[in-house]
Amino acid sequence: MTFRVLDPTPEKAPPVGQLAPRLATLQGKTIGFISNGKEGTKGFFAHLDRMLREEHGVAKVVSRTKSNYSAPVDAHIAAEIRNWDAVISGIGD
Amino acid sequence: MTSRFASAAEMMSRVLGMPDYRFATIGHPVSSATDDDLKAMARMAIEQGRPLLVKP
Amino acid sequence: MHLASRTYDIDDFWAVQELFHANGWTDGLPIVPPTQEAVSACLEWAMADPAQLVGIEPVRGVAITAEKLAINAVMAGCLPMHFPVVLTTFAAMLRPDFLLHGATASTGGCAVLIVVNGPIRLELGAAGAFNALGNSDRATAVIGRAIRLCLINLMDVRPGAIDRSTLGHPGKFSYCVAEDEEDTTWLSLAEQRGIPKEASAVTVMAAGAPRQIMNEWTTRPEEILETFAAEMRANLRHYSIHPGNYALIIPKQLREHLQAAKWSKTDIANFIHERARIHRREWAEVGKGAVVRDRGDSVYPAMESPDQLLVVAAGGPAGGFGAVIPPWLGNKSHAVTVPIGACIDCEPPKK
Repeated sequence: MTFRVLDPTPEKAPPVGQLAPRLATLQGKTIGFISNGKEGTKGFFAHLDRMLREEHGVAKVVSRTKSNYSAPVDAHIAAEIRNWDAVISGIGD
Repeated sequence: MTSRFASAAEMMSRVLGMPDYRFATIGHPVSSATDDDLKAMARMAIEQGRPLLVKP
Repeated sequence: MHLASRTYDIDDFWAVQELFHANGWTDGLPIVPPTQEAVSACLEWAMADPAQLVGIEPVRGVAITAEKLAINAVMAGCLPMHFPVVLTTFAAMLRPDFLLHGATASTGGCAVLIVVNGPIRLELGAAGAFNALGNSDRATAVIGRAIRLCLINLMDVRPGAIDRSTLGHPGKFSYCVAEDEEDTTWLSLAEQRGIPKEASAVTVMAAGAPRQIMNEWTTRPEEILETFAAEMRANLRHYSIHPGNYALIIPKQLREHLQAAKWSKTDIANFIHERARIHRREWAEVGKGAVVRDRGDSVYPAMESPDQLLVVAAGGPAGGFGAVIPPWLGNKSHAVTVPIGACIDCEPPKK
C-alpha cells in the first residue's frame, strides 16, 4: 500500500540578515556590550571592558544588560546599537 | 559563545539565514568561573573576536 | 482543498516510519502517516484555510500555518475533532507573554502543560478522572503529543539543536489534562481566568514535572493545603526561587474536604500565596550556601500574586494525593488562556 505523505516542516527560507561592514580599526571606537546578566557575566565583561580600552585603544564601552535572559534583547537596547561602532554579545551559561 | 552553546549558535545562524556567521568560542561555564578564569575567557574572546570585527 | 506542502510517495507504512525518523521528524515513537485526506479532514473540521496564519514565532520569524499544524496533529494520532484544540493551543503558545522560544529552548527543560476546559472535553471523551496526569484517554494523549511534534518540526525544537534541555521530563511526550468540571462545585480554571462557562478553552503553561504529595490524615483545608504549600516551598529551595505560575492538581478525595468547608479556588489561592514562601537563607540547608551572601533575610514567595495559581480539579475518585506543577522558571513565561472557537472573521476554505 503506497502513501502520499506531507512534509511536516516549514519548508520556507527564513529572513536573511546581512553582515555589517567590518571596522578598519578598534582605535577610538565605541563598543556596546549586551549581557544576559547571568552569574559571572559582570566579571567577564568588566575584564573585557578594561582590555579593550587599555590594550586596543577602544574609546568608549557601553554596557547593557537584557531585562530577561531568556528573551531577545529589549527594544530600547537594540535601538541604541546605531550609536555604537560594534556590539559584543553572546550565548552562555 | 560558551563552548556548550556553540552548536546552538551555529543552529541559530542557519535558521536566521546567515549560515556562515562566525563567532568566538570561550570556555564553559561562566556562572561558576573564578575571576582569573573570567579574565582568561575575556582574553580569549578578544583574541578570537578581534579578527571578526576588524578588517585584516 | 489546496495543500501547499511538499509530498513524498512512499511504498509502505514501515518505509514512512523510517523516512520520518531519519529526518528527525518524530518524537521517537511511530507516527500516523500524514496523508492529504487526513490533513484536509482536520482543516475542514476546524473550518481553517490551509494557508491561515495562526501566528509567527517572533524570535526566529517562523510563520505557523494551519496546514502545518494539521500535518503534525495527524502524525500524533489526532482525529479531526481533536484539531481545534491543537490549533488553539499553539495559538496560545504564540502569544508574546508565553515566551515560546525561551520556554522550549532553555536548559531548564520544561514541557507545555495544557489544561482543557468546557463542553469540548465531553465531545472528545477527554477524561479528567483516573490517571489524569498519565495516559488517561485518547484525546489528551494525542493533543499533547501533537503539540510536541509541532515544536519539533515547526520550530526545530530537537535535543541538542534548539532544545538545550539538560534533562527535560516525560511531559515532553504529552502533557495534557482535562479538568473534571462535572464532579466539583468549583469554577473551572478557564472560568477563574475570565472565560464564560459555555465556551471551551485551553490554558497553556511552561511547566516542570508534577510533584506528587499525599495527605490522607486530615479533613481540614488548612492542613491539606499546607502539604501543597510545603511542596512549593521545596521547589523554591531545591529548584528555583523565582515566582511564577504554579498549578495544583486536586483530585476528588481532597477536593471534597475543601468543598465541604466551602473553600473556593480563590480561597485556596489566597492561602497558598501566604504559605508558599521561603527565606533566602534556607538555600544554605540544601547545598546552595554560596549564593545566600548577605541577603539571607530576603523573603521569596512562590507567586507574585494569588492569581498566578492555577487550581485544577482532576484525578481519580480515591486517593488523598495531589500534585504541584512548578513553572519552568519564575515568571519568564506566563500561563495563557484562550477560548476555542471558529474564526468568525475568516472566509470558509475555498473548494
